[in-house]
Amino acid sequence: MPTRRKPSTPTGGHTPVSNLSKEAAQISAVKAPVSNPPSEGTNPKTIKPRDDGAEAVKGFKMVEATEATLADLYTAPDTSELSDIGVASFGPPPPATETVHGPDDRVQITTTAVYPWRAHASLLITAADGSRWIGTGWFIGPHTLMTAGHVVYIKNSGVAGRDGWVRNIDVMPGRNGSSLPYGTVKSANFHSVIGWTNSGDENFDYGAIVIPTNLGSTTGWFGFGVFSDGDLLASVGNISGYPGDKPAGTQWYDARRIASVNPRKVFYDIDTFGGQSGSAVYRIISGGRYGIAIHAYGGATTNSGTRIVRPVFDNMVAWKA
Amino acid sequence: MAGKPGLISGVVRDPNGKPIIDARVYFTGGPEPLPDIAALTNSNGEFTLSAPSAGTYSIESNADGFSPKAATVAVASGQRLHLDIRLER
Repeated sequence: MPTRRKPSTPTGGHTPVSNLSKEAAQISAVKAPVSNPPSEGTNPKTIKPRDDGAEAVKGFKMVEATEATLADLYTAPDTSELSDIGVASFGPPPPATETVHGPDDRVQITTTAVYPWRAHASLLITAADGSRWIGTGWFIGPHTLMTAGHVVYIKNSGVAGRDGWVRNIDVMPGRNGSSLPYGTVKSANFHSVIGWTNSGDENFDYGAIVIPTNLGSTTGWFGFGVFSDGDLLASVGNISGYPGDKPAGTQWYDARRIASVNPRKVFYDIDTFGGQSGSAVYRIISGGRYGIAIHAYGGATTNSGTRIVRPVFDNMVAWKA
Repeated sequence: MAGKPGLISGVVRDPNGKPIIDARVYFTGGPEPLPDIAALTNSNGEFTLSAPSAGTYSIESNADGFSPKAATVAVASGQRLHLDIRLER
């Protein structure tokens, strides 16, 4: 009879923390069988993915890495023309600092009530100081969505009253502009790890949102897994989310091969913009969608997410409800 | 993270100078990788972004019905800057 390894509670920077008391967290967590494969939910109407590891999205053409694009990825930006401190000027941003690298390959998803798109949620975040932010989350279970740590817990903002657990998050799965096919669910139940909440270390920038309804049973959820460097480098990374540069609440998709990995992060040239923090970086295996990282940062030459390594995986299993 | 964060505050307005509520404001670049999150302006059109270290930051603002507007600001450690961003239709 096969045995299942009981997930251990991670330690160090991955020590889990919650904004609720232990008792309250236990009460609100729904005890259910835990597994890491994906679920397509109710009546998913899923379109079969392409053979190259990307989603079959009309109008999307995946850009393959060339020597020129790779050189672009690993060349430090020229900072010799930077303005003096204190200068504020308007105009187009310097190309080297964009989080869309080269041509913008993002394609809008309009069939957001179909799996896997409906497993993504537009997030409206209200911070402790009342400021509001947008981000992205993705279901890993009926009640649980993964997102970036900085979506649920603000660290080192320098703004009085802003740092700490956010006040609440409105979760809008499958949102398409003003259309909310699954409504809005408000949550004030969050998880992260002390590597983020205590240290603000980007290597530990991940968290979870637990919603009071089992909406994920309808929308479906993503699987997630721990993969080797070789596996990841041979994978196409897919990202869909809710960027702020596009019409409000619209979902946009892009995919490219993973550029590099280290023991805690995954780096890629997949185009993103502010608002996509918390998106799944996922790969497709035998038609199933598996999260490999949680998108969190836009960089000068690559974007990056927190890699799902064993302690992250164990926390996700523990948080999955 | 080096030094005290700088703060970039501002107001997003329409061509008539009226504050825009729920405009998105986000970084498009900076001296280090930045959280890929976007602020929404409040009922007065105001926002405050945190610049984690000294350097030059690219910011963009966008709202439905308007063209996006980009700004480039150089921020010193702990410095507070104010931007008045006017979006065009």
